[in-house]
Amino acid sequence: MLNIENLTVAVEDKTILKGLTLNVPAGEVHAIMGPNGAGKSTLGYTLAGRPNYEVSEGSATLNGEDLLAMEVHERASAGLYLSFQYPLEIPGVPAMTFIRTALNAQRKLRGEDEVGAPQFLKDIREIAKTLKIDTEMLKRPLNVGFSGGEKKRMEVLQMALLKPKFLILDETDSGLDIDALKVVSEGVNALRSPERGMLVITHYQRLLDHIKPDRIHILVDGRIVHSGGPELALELEAHGYDRYVNEAA
Amino acid sequence: MAFDLFDPASWPTRRDEDWKYSDLSRSLREAPQPSHLTHIQAQVADFNGFYWHCAGDGQLAGLQEAVRQARGRLYLDMGDFGLEDGVSGYQGEGRIALAEGESLILLEDYTGAFDYAAHTTLHFDLAKGAHLTRVVILDEPETAVSVRQSYVTTAPDSVYKQYVFATGAKFQRFESHVDHAGHGAEVEMHGAYLLKDQAHFDYTTRVRHADINGTTQQLIKGLTKDRATAVFQGRILVERGADGTDARMHHQALMLNDGARVRAKPELEIYADDVQCAHGNTVGALDEAALFFCQSRGMDEATARALLMQAFVVPVAEQIADEVVRDMVLNWLEHKAGGFYGL
Repeated sequence: MLNIENLTVAVEDKTILKGLTLNVPAGEVHAIMGPNGAGKSTLGYTLAGRPNYEVSEGSATLNGEDLLAMEVHERASAGLYLSFQYPLEIPGVPAMTFIRTALNAQRKLRGEDEVGAPQFLKDIREIAKTLKIDTEMLKRPLNVGFSGGEKKRMEVLQMALLKPKFLILDETDSGLDIDALKVVSEGVNALRSPERGMLVITHYQRLLDHIKPDRIHILVDGRIVHSGGPELALELEAHGYDRYVNEAA
Repeated sequence: MAFDLFDPASWPTRRDEDWKYSDLSRSLREAPQPSHLTHIQAQVADFNGFYWHCAGDGQLAGLQEAVRQARGRLYLDMGDFGLEDGVSGYQGEGRIALAEGESLILLEDYTGAFDYAAHTTLHFDLAKGAHLTRVVILDEPETAVSVRQSYVTTAPDSVYKQYVFATGAKFQRFESHVDHAGHGAEVEMHGAYLLKDQAHFDYTTRVRHADINGTTQQLIKGLTKDRATAVFQGRILVERGADGTDARMHHQALMLNDGARVRAKPELEIYADDVQCAHGNTVGALDEAALFFCQSRGMDEATARALLMQAFVVPVAEQIADEVVRDMVLNWLEHKAGGFYGL
């Protein structure tokens, strides 16, 4: 599924990822935990193709396809979905219009037929209901004036409609109260399947109580310094990252 | 200022303060040939499905009669066509007076082809409590020279609203002068422009608050790309004694690349004491973070740029109360924004 080898990335001449290697097989959920500034978000942005993230070494493939050789939108069509820590506000574009434009752009690139308005409406209403999103909200400009929880629910709504093969969740728990965290996590869990992989980037163990990972990797100073099972999260919660930070230094 | 299209000596020059950024004589070097090809139709519009019947006499002078038959909705369709040899010119003047309490939605559609110069002047006189909404679409060819002037007088409790949507031309200027009667009268003058290549669009508005308790609101949003130039000149004058005036003017522009230009001159001239006036003017670039967000969801760059561009100007059109006209303008904006990136 997702294979990253020796990935080295600089942003504005500062090297952030320093030879990161990571493999996430289909059907598994892996978590990346680490202190501030370790490069967690940089990993997500690099895979998604954000401009000015310079890859100097290494590779990243999704089902054997070279992600780094693709344009941003081609990566999305190939099945990669990055859920943003801070989803952007898009004034003037109703949420529904935004999602349908994105969906049909992906389908077009894959040589599939566009989804007609009636079918799309039916699908979006159904999923919105499970995420407790009011239909009226779908007519409002995407994320404009939405609360933190509403923005994250919109992110999950998009995942559910775009049906990506691989999900990267960047600090999805930030800005969520406990009820919103539950709704969002249930939405994400509903997308778990043997064909789909997920990478959950998080600071705190809290999210992993709701989205249970198969593996946990600790990212310090641009490298994975330790990997283990779900029990690793509890250990980190008790003792912090100090041990790993000191080892890396 | 009034001028005669066929008399170059009367043309405004850049030495006239109000014409500093728009040089007519540079775009129109000599007097044009009078045109026989101008097409003017004033049509009584049943906007619901756009069936209409011709009701004008083919001249702007017949507008008042068309309004009489229009039952509140008039579609003014005006197209100019250039000659094969040289520039053809059309100059016309019309007047619409609305009686006490009368209301009208006027959709003005200016189009054409080839090299032409057009100068039209419209006068609007609103009696007490009259309502006029003008929705103007300036969809002219890049070879056109066009100046559209309007002079508006209002009365207490009347409402005057104008929405101008423009794609520019070789030279395109839309100019409105409003005499604001106050006493509950409301004036709104909005606009949106989408300019590319060498297009030039000049939106000039003048409002004079002469009496108490009048409101003026303006929201102008636009984009320039390539080597296009946008000019916005807005002046709100509040005369001595026009207390209780509430006037707000906002202009927001995006320059999509180096070389594109936006010239803005907002002016508030206030001689009364008890007034609320505000103006804001911003010029920026397209939000690159939003662009990446759209692309990361699968939109190619052209689609994402067109979507964000359209989204920037849409709030202007969304204020149009009439649903049919609003949807028509929104579709037009979508089509024009897509055209910027070959979609």
